[in-house]
Amino acid sequence: MSCHLPKKPKKNGKYKDSINIALAGNPNVGKSVIFNQLTGLSQTIGNWPGKTVERMEGYLDFLGYHFNIVDLPGIYSISTYSLEEIVSREYIVSDEVDLIINVIDATNLERNLFFTFQLLELKVPMILAINQMDILRKRKIDLDFEELERIFKLPVLPVVAVHGTGVHQLLEEAIEMAVYRHTHSHFNGSEPEECTHHGHDHYREEHVHDKVETWPSLKKEFEFPDLSSILSFGKEVETKIKELIKEINQNNEYFSSFHYPSRFLAIKLLEDDEEIKKIFDEDNETRKIVELANNYRKKLEDYHGEDIHTIISSEIYNNIHQIIEKVVHIKSKEKIKKISLADKIDHLTTHSFWGYVILAFVIFGIYAFTFIIGDLLGGLIELIYEDLSLMVYDAYGENNIWVKIFWNGGVGGFFGALGGVLVYVIPFFLIIEILQDSGYLPRAAFLMDRIMHAIGVHGKTIIPMILGFGCNVPACAGCRIMETEREKKISIVLTSLIPCAAVMVVVMGLVGRYLGLFWLLFLFAINFSVILLVGRVLNKTMPGVCTELIMEMHEYRVPNYNVITKQTWLRSKEFIYKALPLIIVLGITLEILLELRALDPINIILSPITVFWLGLPIVTGVFLIYGILRKELTLILLALLASSMGLTLLELMTPIQMIVFCLVTMLYIPCFATIIIIAKQTSWKYALQISFMEISVALLIGGLIHFSYIFFITL
Amino acid sequence: MIKSMHKKSHKHKGFGTPLIKCLTECDKGEEVKVLSVNAGYGAKRRLANLGIVPGTIIKKKKEAPFHGPLEIYVKGTSLVIGRGIASKILVECDEACSY
Repeated sequence: MSCHLPKKPKKNGKYKDSINIALAGNPNVGKSVIFNQLTGLSQTIGNWPGKTVERMEGYLDFLGYHFNIVDLPGIYSISTYSLEEIVSREYIVSDEVDLIINVIDATNLERNLFFTFQLLELKVPMILAINQMDILRKRKIDLDFEELERIFKLPVLPVVAVHGTGVHQLLEEAIEMAVYRHTHSHFNGSEPEECTHHGHDHYREEHVHDKVETWPSLKKEFEFPDLSSILSFGKEVETKIKELIKEINQNNEYFSSFHYPSRFLAIKLLEDDEEIKKIFDEDNETRKIVELANNYRKKLEDYHGEDIHTIISSEIYNNIHQIIEKVVHIKSKEKIKKISLADKIDHLTTHSFWGYVILAFVIFGIYAFTFIIGDLLGGLIELIYEDLSLMVYDAYGENNIWVKIFWNGGVGGFFGALGGVLVYVIPFFLIIEILQDSGYLPRAAFLMDRIMHAIGVHGKTIIPMILGFGCNVPACAGCRIMETEREKKISIVLTSLIPCAAVMVVVMGLVGRYLGLFWLLFLFAINFSVILLVGRVLNKTMPGVCTELIMEMHEYRVPNYNVITKQTWLRSKEFIYKALPLIIVLGITLEILLELRALDPINIILSPITVFWLGLPIVTGVFLIYGILRKELTLILLALLASSMGLTLLELMTPIQMIVFCLVTMLYIPCFATIIIIAKQTSWKYALQISFMEISVALLIGGLIHFSYIFFITL
Repeated sequence: MIKSMHKKSHKHKGFGTPLIKCLTECDKGEEVKVLSVNAGYGAKRRLANLGIVPGTIIKKKKEAPFHGPLEIYVKGTSLVIGRGIASKILVECDEACSY
């Protein structure tokens, strides 16, 4: 597969004919569908430099041009509410972007245009893509595209992303903007959307020369249309902004290096934007502008009796309202009051009784699905590995040290990761994507918000936690949906404590099989009490306050096949590249340690903990260390040992040892892959802190159970 | 059991139908106009960005069980907002009101 690795797209300027596009828009507007349609399998996931925000990137070659496309996170505004917003804003004005495609949901124009208006203030070349036109037509609502283009003086294109209609026209328009527009001053806005590839090829060849000459300074050469008629606010606000612009322009040389238009700076100063204020922290003169802005803000707030965000948001929504009156024509006045299937499902899944029943089924379903598929595929891979092993042993001898290190350690680790982790991770990614794309997860957050507040977080945390029942690795990565750093950190800890499918194997295989349901429930009760307690403690100790839930709950929809399969592949690919090599290295290391008989001393070193404190057999020390690699290994190794000694597990371990052993396996540490993901999401320091905390908690509870048992029988 | 308790508390709050109330006191399906948002700085800005500013018409769709968050319909989409914030949004029943 590695030969098909996407080449790292080169940064702007290296290709003469590459166009860098950023997709921007609200969440759930079909941005990722368009991104998938355009870039296919060339996508890569990374992080924004120095930030924990995910960066989706892809490329395609179209009509002889190389397009680098970045899918920005879905956001509602470009203030500094979240890291996503800051990242997006900085990226849009940077030199790396030639133009933005703003994806707009036609069925929700008002809110989507609010974001568009903010983008307009950044004065970056832009194409408006109005998505979900099919639904609008079904609702018998007309959208006047000519009027829209006249108002915005920018290309506005209809798109039906799920069918791929109009998606490539966006790129044609982008080429036009990048090449054609500033070589032809008479260019009048938009080209009819049905223009053929042939036609475009024609003019492209014709102007290759111009293109090379003017490349890559599209942004600088692009003359942003004068939109003051729609962007202006009310008189009071506008005069203040004008005053501030005047001040800013006096220091033009300094500010121009930040690429923000002065009007944008003025508005953000009025809004008390922390990041923008940092720009003004240069010298006394610029600091004076901040003071002036503070002064103006106070005046405006006194005048309107509202805070500045409300004032400015209201102004923008007023402007939007006027535009909507002009462009939206509702053909049939009668409202369709039919209750759709989506509404029925919505009603059922948020019902005060059935909602919870369904939630329980979903969690069970995640377990069952990852488990059954993973087990099936895992068994298959294990068979293959065993057959291959026999062949290798025949050829080189089973006791050859190199065979042990490289085959058992390296290849064995690889197959182990493949058959023990990956086969669970892939079906699991699939089911997450289905849950996510259909729109179920926000409903779970809605139902659980009140209960989650008892732990000290809001309802959204339940989303990664639900995912954690399948596999902690992607679930911890999923914690990035939390808005603030604090919530993300708390969610990651709680998610890493959720018993995943692998832990279930151990618990079911020992306690479930030999001791029965009561003790199984006992273990789960302890596990969830720990989650509750840790949540409460973190909530108390971590600086900041618990924010409240504010989220959009979009309608149920049939998951998009394209998005789901590609996302699943993409995330699995990321896992394969990032976690697999580490697992192999660890496998080799462990095998070397085994070969050096370094594990016996480890067992002895660990014996005060395992034997004295937890009351477990001495061999479990190494097993627990193996368990860090893959939690189900603890059981597998135990079973192997038992069978080699000709005993059953029940003869090897007493019931109380089983309970303690399972409990420790459940809690003692996130598995290695999870630790890596946590470190990627936050920092290595935090990942190690969590590991240390969980080891202490597991030992504490395990020891307590062991000693209270001893106390109980001596009575 | 829980459901019936819920209904009772609803009826009690709806009693007398005051003209100005907080969003949590509204009935299911009621359409109201926002008077003021008294939430904290961050929440207020976020709500403003989502279009919840004085004058906006919002419709309360439903409430989560156990005194949970509210689902409201505003500017063409459904939003879920925590009860704590919802109780800080003052609304007014005007002509558009369903009563």
